[in-house]
Amino acid sequence: MANDDHIRTLTADLEAKRVSRREFVRFAALVGMAAPAAYALAGTITGEPFAPPAAAEALPKGGTWRIGTRIKDIKSPHTFSWGEQSNVARQVVEYLTMTGDDNVTRPYLAESWDVSPDLKTWTFHIRKGVKWTKGDELTADHVIWNLKRCLDPAVGSSMIGLVKAYLLNEVTGPDGKPTTELWAPNAIEKLDDHTVRLNCKLPQVAVPEHLFHYPMSILHPDDKGVFGIGAQGTGPFELTEFDLGKRAVLKRRTGYWGGDAAIDGMEQIDIGDDPSASIAALASKQIDGLASAYPSQYDALKALTHLQYYDVKTAETGVMRMKTDTAPFNDARVRKAMRLAVDREALLQVALRGLGSVGADSHCSPVLPDYGTVAIPTRDVAAAKKLLAEAGHPDGIEADLVVPNDIDWFQPMAEASQQMWAEAGIKINLKPIPGASYWDVWTKVPFGITIWYHRPLCTMLLGLAYRTGVPWNESGWSNKEFDALLTQAEGTLDLAKRKEILAKLETIMEEDGPLVQPVFRNVFSFQDKRVKGYTAHPSNYFFGWMIGLDKA
Amino acid sequence: MRDRLPVIVLIARKLLSVILTLLLASFLVFAVSEFSPGNVARKTLGPYAPQESVDLLYQKLGLKDPLVERYGRWLGILLGLRADPLQDPALKLNFVDPRGARYFGNFGYSSLYKAPVNDVIWSRLGATAMLAGIAFAIIVPLSLTLGILAGMREGGLLDRTISVFGIVATSVPEFASGVFLVALFVVLLGWLPGTSPLTTGGGWPVWSQLVLPVSVLVLYDSGYLVRMVRGAMVDVMNRPFIRTAMLKGLSFPQVVLRHGLRNAMIAPFTVILLQINFLISGVVVTELVFAYPGFGRMILDASLFGDISLIEAATLIALCVAVTTQLLGDAGYALLNPQIRLR
Repeated sequence: MANDDHIRTLTADLEAKRVSRREFVRFAALVGMAAPAAYALAGTITGEPFAPPAAAEALPKGGTWRIGTRIKDIKSPHTFSWGEQSNVARQVVEYLTMTGDDNVTRPYLAESWDVSPDLKTWTFHIRKGVKWTKGDELTADHVIWNLKRCLDPAVGSSMIGLVKAYLLNEVTGPDGKPTTELWAPNAIEKLDDHTVRLNCKLPQVAVPEHLFHYPMSILHPDDKGVFGIGAQGTGPFELTEFDLGKRAVLKRRTGYWGGDAAIDGMEQIDIGDDPSASIAALASKQIDGLASAYPSQYDALKALTHLQYYDVKTAETGVMRMKTDTAPFNDARVRKAMRLAVDREALLQVALRGLGSVGADSHCSPVLPDYGTVAIPTRDVAAAKKLLAEAGHPDGIEADLVVPNDIDWFQPMAEASQQMWAEAGIKINLKPIPGASYWDVWTKVPFGITIWYHRPLCTMLLGLAYRTGVPWNESGWSNKEFDALLTQAEGTLDLAKRKEILAKLETIMEEDGPLVQPVFRNVFSFQDKRVKGYTAHPSNYFFGWMIGLDKA
Repeated sequence: MRDRLPVIVLIARKLLSVILTLLLASFLVFAVSEFSPGNVARKTLGPYAPQESVDLLYQKLGLKDPLVERYGRWLGILLGLRADPLQDPALKLNFVDPRGARYFGNFGYSSLYKAPVNDVIWSRLGATAMLAGIAFAIIVPLSLTLGILAGMREGGLLDRTISVFGIVATSVPEFASGVFLVALFVVLLGWLPGTSPLTTGGGWPVWSQLVLPVSVLVLYDSGYLVRMVRGAMVDVMNRPFIRTAMLKGLSFPQVVLRHGLRNAMIAPFTVILLQINFLISGVVVTELVFAYPGFGRMILDASLFGDISLIEAATLIALCVAVTTQLLGDAGYALLNPQIRLR
């Protein structure tokens, strides 16, 4: 059952119009109320009909959905680092929770959850009657095995970075190197065969979101963490063929707890990195759709009349982040000047052809439910010059910007920004490097552009990248007031209060923060018009059970 | 005059130089990989993995060891002198080769594909060999015919037409001609599939998926060869013995076939054989444009990832192809021109 106190607070907020219906549904679901019930309640309170986004439409049956993507190594789901990998596995193995394209996190293998008023004790009720491929039932033991395996430093899962603050302690290993361990013996606790409790060190409101992070899939312990053909799963499909770099074939299985999928199967085909190859494959109907498309492909794909365009606003962005311990960026005035010198609206047009939204250098997207409203800074070259002069650079500054070459809109964004900065006396030299190499230096270069994929909450993003000393704090930025406010936000359920705190956090980022972050990208994709049920997911995830295919 | 060396010595000498070349090249690849940025362990675990885990994997993969040690280990594994340490179950890397950990020709484990190199490389080489074979079978007769036709009457209408075609075809890069052909035959006319996954799931037979990549290669490569053949032919047709042949009353076709052709073939012959090397390892762009699951695209992915085992294997295979074509070239020379003999 959902936690009644939290629902009461939220209901009051909704009645007083302090939160929108979407925010209400999102947070009601977050604290364990099933999403359909939350939608119903939102409708009752505001008196307006409200249709759930994934209205169960009768999907046509049969057919194979062929989708163009990259086929990467899938052997170890708990250490996945790319969405493409999880898109193969997620058809077979599932997650405890699921965050939809509306940023609402819903029950999945966990059918509900409760949270204590201090947001420290999370109790997950595992769905009963969920059968693995070979017929045994999903139990709390299976779930706990997966949670513990992901938090074992020897496995190397990125889940550690996500939950470290509230579930792990940093300790020194037997070899004298720093490592982590569960903060308490009962941090992950079995209550009964279908109930698992997380006892957290600190309050954390985003636990259900974290459990949908793509490495956190629930595998059968017998498979020992290895995924492949014949691997067990609770999901609607089985992996029948896999050829790395070429394709993955998935077939529907019967007896899926959520009802059998409409399509017979799906084929994921590796179309490489050449943007024209995916256009050609779609033009000749070799594939029905793309996992995701790029701005540079937009015009060509729009011209193909048999395709339907899907998009969704996201928090996906490229942050031009400055290392705050390196001159000249160690001066907050210089960082502010960098921000003042760019024209966000122009960059949105140049880099993303307008397919996105403008940002205010805080990494917090207005699309996220806990976003606090702040003004978008306007370009002010004179003010930028004045700040530089105050910082002791009356003749401007010069620096290198490292641009990874695997994201097609980074280069135009960098070039346009370069010209805008030049007008303020800031000379920036662009240093393109291979995308794969950037990850070796992403926390080290003084000035670089880093891709950040969508996360469903502002607090998640800020906690991952801007809290003092966290592993992905690539800029090395540290602001005590920010840290304290962030911790406060993470422990605040009242949404209106939380949004107020977020607005303060975003303002600190604008004044003192390490970013020039002018735009957010819309994630978009194209599918053949015969593909039904598809929606663009902000994290580029797709789910075979949502899809139906009209006859070709 | 020097005594002729026995054939066996000639062959042994040749083999020795081949082995030395292979050793040198494979060591160079190791050395160069030192300078390429990128940590395989980081790439394997991804940007968001904790640094401790990356360091651990780095150590497990043996990447900390000095260059010479890693090269020696790789060579030992390749020759079957030692077992591949990465297959040790204690490392928990889940690296298993069904052929065993120790056998001759063990190229090791691909860190990119998480599979034995021998499981990855041969099917892709086969796919590229098919593409290259078909292209080669068209390129050679086509460019010989056109080159000879153009070269036998220098400056004629036929020569000028063919030469223009040759220049245009060579100067259009593969990615441009690929996109152009796709726009025409795939998007506009809808006659052909736009990519070549070599499976029939998309409703197009495999042969139809080969038409466009083969066309791109033929266009690009034959333009160059035509000009080579034409040049040689023009050169030969101006030689005194051709005039003699004409004057002694042979018909023009007889002169071209009997006296012109054989002599004109000597220089282009090497160039033609070099095209085999290009078609095996130089087709990266074509494979990328058509998402063709071949050798070139694999090398590109392996290089970007820093998968040293796979790059080494690909290098050795490409070198073996090059050495073989070179040997064929030497033998062919001797046949075409009696003045050239193996020394």
